[in-house]
Amino acid sequence: MAPVLQHSIAGPACFVVPRRTIAIAAAATAPRSAAPRCNVASVAEPQAPPAGSPSLPTGSAVSSRRYPRSVALRTALSEPAKSGAKIGGRRHGAYVQEAALRDQAEASMSFVSASTPDLFLLDLASKLEDSIAQDGLANDPLARLREEATEATLSCHWPTNKDESYRFTDVKFLKQANINPVNVPSESSFDPASLNLPDSNGSRLVFVDGVLCKNLSSLEDVPEGVVIGSISSLPKEAVEEHVLPRLSGVARRSEGDVYACLNGVGARDLVVVIVPTGVKVPKPLYVLYYSAQGGPVGGPDSAFALSNPRLLVSVGKDAELDLVEDFTGAPQTLYWTNSVCEIDIAESGRVGHSYVQEQSLNAVHIRQTYVSQVTASTYKLVEAGFGGRLSRHNLSIQQLGPDTITEMSTFLLAGRKQLHDLHSKLVLDHPRGISRQLHKCIVSDSSGHAVFDGNVRVNRFAQQTDAGQLSRSLLLAPRATVNVKPNLQIIANDVKCSHGAAISDLEEDQLFYFRARGIDVQTARSALVFSFGAEVLQKLVGEGLRKRVENLVKSSLAAEGYIKPDLPVTI
Amino acid sequence: MAATGAVVSVTGVCWEACFQPQRNRRVSATKLQSSSADAVVGFSRKCRVEGATLMSSCSSAVKPSSSSVSSCSSKPQQHHGRRGRAFATMATMAESPVASELEKVGDVLLEVRGLCAVVEATGKEILRGVDLTVRQGEVHAIMGKNGSGKSTLSKVLVGHPDYLVTSGTATYKGENLFDKEPEERSHAGLFLSFQSPVEIPGVSNMDFLRMACNARRSSLGLPEFGPLEFYGFLSPKLAALNMDPSFLDRNVNEGFSGGEKKRNEILQLAVLEADMAILDEIDSGLDVDALRDVAAAVNGLRKSDNAVLMITHYQRLLDYIKPTYVHIMEAGRIVKTGDSSLALQLEAGGYEALKESA
Repeated sequence: MAPVLQHSIAGPACFVVPRRTIAIAAAATAPRSAAPRCNVASVAEPQAPPAGSPSLPTGSAVSSRRYPRSVALRTALSEPAKSGAKIGGRRHGAYVQEAALRDQAEASMSFVSASTPDLFLLDLASKLEDSIAQDGLANDPLARLREEATEATLSCHWPTNKDESYRFTDVKFLKQANINPVNVPSESSFDPASLNLPDSNGSRLVFVDGVLCKNLSSLEDVPEGVVIGSISSLPKEAVEEHVLPRLSGVARRSEGDVYACLNGVGARDLVVVIVPTGVKVPKPLYVLYYSAQGGPVGGPDSAFALSNPRLLVSVGKDAELDLVEDFTGAPQTLYWTNSVCEIDIAESGRVGHSYVQEQSLNAVHIRQTYVSQVTASTYKLVEAGFGGRLSRHNLSIQQLGPDTITEMSTFLLAGRKQLHDLHSKLVLDHPRGISRQLHKCIVSDSSGHAVFDGNVRVNRFAQQTDAGQLSRSLLLAPRATVNVKPNLQIIANDVKCSHGAAISDLEEDQLFYFRARGIDVQTARSALVFSFGAEVLQKLVGEGLRKRVENLVKSSLAAEGYIKPDLPVTI
Repeated sequence: MAATGAVVSVTGVCWEACFQPQRNRRVSATKLQSSSADAVVGFSRKCRVEGATLMSSCSSAVKPSSSSVSSCSSKPQQHHGRRGRAFATMATMAESPVASELEKVGDVLLEVRGLCAVVEATGKEILRGVDLTVRQGEVHAIMGKNGSGKSTLSKVLVGHPDYLVTSGTATYKGENLFDKEPEERSHAGLFLSFQSPVEIPGVSNMDFLRMACNARRSSLGLPEFGPLEFYGFLSPKLAALNMDPSFLDRNVNEGFSGGEKKRNEILQLAVLEADMAILDEIDSGLDVDALRDVAAAVNGLRKSDNAVLMITHYQRLLDYIKPTYVHIMEAGRIVKTGDSSLALQLEAGGYEALKESA
């Protein structure tokens, strides 16, 4: 028992020391200190996790099940350790040593269980901390968030395909790549004209590399009482009332997801939108996330520039807000946008949420969305995902009161060498919730891959829930891959739940309907392929946005020959 | 048409009561009887001369009396066995009538002979020798029990991929229908109003209608409509069906009520200006007002050079759209043909009554 205590107590105690030191110390001393660390961990592992400790989220059963596999995994990892050293020659001095030491340390700990701190992750977290420290942001209101997130990060590990939620989503390449946090963004570093800024209709927020850019943002027609801005610019009362409570509990909400924790560690800014009781914001609030900094693609200097935008939206009782989020970045560069968005909807509030991801094709896009819905509130999400080499969205919706309405409509288009992944989770704990989920994806290339895990939990008290889920995937190329896992967990006994998943070509009946009206097969197929996504896309808020997305879908599908370029079908 | 009438008569049911037979043309009863031995499959056989009377009564129901009879002269194919022979006999038998009257009626638009079709996936035979002749200006109604093959007939005619034609012919405007792809049949003016039209989420009604209209127009060598022109073309048709323009912004059939779907089908018919409209149960799921609107629209579209083939279960549709002929379909073929009084009789007594009416 003693080692366990030492483990859990020693954890927080360590954080007094700057993280960088710990990480390097761990890496540098690992070969020597590996033995005692092994002991701590391996003794600790078979024990039940200490009650209430968030740092050991996985039960011992899971760990022991993983044990033999992780031996194999770690052994496999020791191979890259050698090649890492080779590659190291091309890297910069200090980092080379550090990386080599890290790899060595990992290799030497190959018999350690997965609950050992992940050195790569520690290294990444410490780099993030350094970048924050350089900014002189150490004591701002986000310090609390960072502290908690850092602690949570230590109990995480970099996901592998042995983790259920990353079973089909390969994030190993990130671990093998160089990742550098973005520098302090400067507004002159890019051309604002390259942004897809919407027509001046309504107000907008522009994140550049994770930080709110005031020059590009504009707040027009915002009703009185609505608070929008960076946490540093907010009135103190608003921060205390709405923001501070949300800055704790990161570990609990992230449920062991490393990326949410990393965002907490590296967030330079927190943008807050507060819509007070009874206020209905008439025009959509447009939030653009632009990644301006990016490393070169390929070559010795190839590195991902990591930014961590964070948005908090709080919609009061009877209040309404339409939120449009749009993710984009500098083309032909390597970057990783690791964003988090939290949305709280109070009683009878309504949030319409449009989410368009059009990152550059080399980029990594990882996103966590947490939504909490109080009594009789409505949340409607429309998501469209196109860009990025890897795109992962963890969408988590928690019901905090009865009579909620939840709608999720998502469309993902995975082309050449793209992986699009949506993990959605809706937890219903109260009666009479209504939820509708429609997930559609097209994989248009042999090397494309789409993943969907749609979880709906209907717990004991969620009687008379009406939950429907439908997932449809369209595979247009041979060997195109989709992994779909719709899952309903129903404990309540008086509910109406449905789910369906279809992976198919176009529907013959629909095709015939077109032909019976004189429309030739090629046009009919084009129209059906386009409409497959349009069913979701036409729910996006804003004419301009719909038009832009329509052109995006058409051009990318037409480029691959799946639809006719002059197709007379619109969203 | 008359050939099918003949088949009915051969199967030996007497329809005296309903047809007020004109017995002036009692043709070779013996001949009939001899063929009937082979031909009868369905109803109780009780062959009498009424076969011929039926034919004549049929023709009398049409403006020029010989139309149906004369169409018998085209000789059906022999490959479907016993019935084939029966038709052949009947055809020869009926060949005599007055050729001069032919000019008065419209040209043959659609001629189906001995059509047999199976469900492609299962091989189950649904159509077992359908004969049907539709001329310009005519309205035909096909009635029959559920599962008798009415809808299959309509789908086979427009080329639905679920069905395979195993024998028989269909000639449309003098060309072999089965040589054409479904879209070519549509371009040629053949239209099917589906019994349950499929929903197409993501495609707006407006775009769909315009695509269909422009496909037809370009096949006719006409310039395509731009969005605005098309709207101008569409508006009066929309108004004729009492349809709200907001209907055009909705996705094709998505979330439509039963009535809206049928109206939408007829709107498509109007837009495509088809020459041969097959209406598969356009009355099902309609309330009284909607039925009246739809029927008025169909009547409004009727011209001397087009034709309608309706499939229905109920007389009430025929109250609005008066049929020239009523056919009864059973077990994959047309077993009886008459005028609109046949439908009334059916309405009153059901299919059993038709069988027993002898």
